[in-house]
Amino acid sequence: MACKPPSTWTQYKTLLAKDLRAEFRTKDMIVSMGIYAFLVIVVFGVSLSFARPGSEFLEVSGGLLWALVVFTSLLGLNRSFAHETENGCLEGLLLAPLDRGVIFLSKATSNLIFLALVEVIAVPLYWVFFSSFAAPAETGWLLVVPLLLGSVGIAGIGTLLSTITASTRGKDVMLALLFVPIVFPLLYACVSATTCALVGGDVFADGFMTSLALAAGYDVIMILASWVLYDFVVN
Amino acid sequence: MTAALTVEHLTKSFGGRKAVDDVSFTLPEGAFLSVFGPNGAGKTTLLRMLATLSRPTEGTISVGGISLKEEPDRARESIGLISHNPMLYPDLTAEENLLLYAKLYGVENPQKRVIELLDAVGLKHRRLDRVRTFSRGMTQRTSIARALINDPSLVLLDEPYSGLDPHAIEIFDELIESVRENRTFVMVSHDLDKGLALASHVLVLAKGRVVAFAEKGDVADEEFRALYRSTVGLGVS
Repeated sequence: MACKPPSTWTQYKTLLAKDLRAEFRTKDMIVSMGIYAFLVIVVFGVSLSFARPGSEFLEVSGGLLWALVVFTSLLGLNRSFAHETENGCLEGLLLAPLDRGVIFLSKATSNLIFLALVEVIAVPLYWVFFSSFAAPAETGWLLVVPLLLGSVGIAGIGTLLSTITASTRGKDVMLALLFVPIVFPLLYACVSATTCALVGGDVFADGFMTSLALAAGYDVIMILASWVLYDFVVN
Repeated sequence: MTAALTVEHLTKSFGGRKAVDDVSFTLPEGAFLSVFGPNGAGKTTLLRMLATLSRPTEGTISVGGISLKEEPDRARESIGLISHNPMLYPDLTAEENLLLYAKLYGVENPQKRVIELLDAVGLKHRRLDRVRTFSRGMTQRTSIARALINDPSLVLLDEPYSGLDPHAIEIFDELIESVRENRTFVMVSHDLDKGLALASHVLVLAKGRVVAFAEKGDVADEEFRALYRSTVGLGVS
């Protein structure tokens, strides 16, 4: 029997397909993230139900959207690595002749896909729910750009951090403790860009592109760092 | 002739404590090494280094002349590990699990290889069932198939009997016997009878150091048991 070392691309596709197949079969992560996102929207709605409608609301709605994204992604990230630690599966992958960076990239991609799927449902719901308080500006649809950049960064750094905390006691709390401070610059940039898009006008012109540049820079640096560090982390 | 496994001055430290301390031995092709020692003697740490799951602090390991430090991926192509952890995804079927590993190793004609192995471990009829639905014995048999997917020349066994009932142990022994030819085995076990029955070589560790390493024919079983009892008495510091 012969083995021919497969390409990195083949190994990446194999690992990604494994993650997607396992998740779509059980839907554990997507369902819990979706329900959680819906509940957060309901709680925000109830909390704001006595606020007077007006444009001021738009200035905090970006922050509320990102609170929803961050807490939902934390829930998913905690669960995503549970599959790898159950039955010692991560060790099985580490025994194979593959670059550890491939494990990181495939896991980050699957986390991004699951987060994006939840966002595809939760964000329109959020939009419908909150547009009754104040109508977003015409540039409001541009919030998909910070949403995309933010999700990429969250999936990337979140994958590294969930690997680090997977074998710790109180991993849920540990992940949150590490994740929120590290992701803070990205969160700040994405909240700023989202608010700019929703408010529009001068606010949009002043800050949207700058915030996006900050978010994109963070993504590039942190994902590269996570990819390089992943070998050290899993060993 | 190149040795199947060469370990030279292997040391692994965790902080100031040496879990494995200056361990050296060489195994020829086809050897079966049983590693014994009390809890905390460094057996699993040694096995994890042989499996490339842990990096030595000092020393070298080579499998079939390939250095684990210099060419870890090439060495991994010739190593299989069976432990009490099956390393199988519970929500994937037995076939999907084995196909995953076959593709990661680049096995030619992976589907055929997977069916062959599942047939060999007597689980071909359950290949489309999720691993979550398997008994401990069946999971362990699937795990053996997983470890052999790349046709490894070095098979590492970490407490493979843990949690198995007598019938499953019998099946496991038959499977190991059927794949012994041209492979080198290293098994960590607390089961002295089982370890001695399978071994061609024995290694006793205590406090991370080699207390004894011998070919089985060189030492009488009773002499060895007495030595083992005395080392177990050493415990760990």
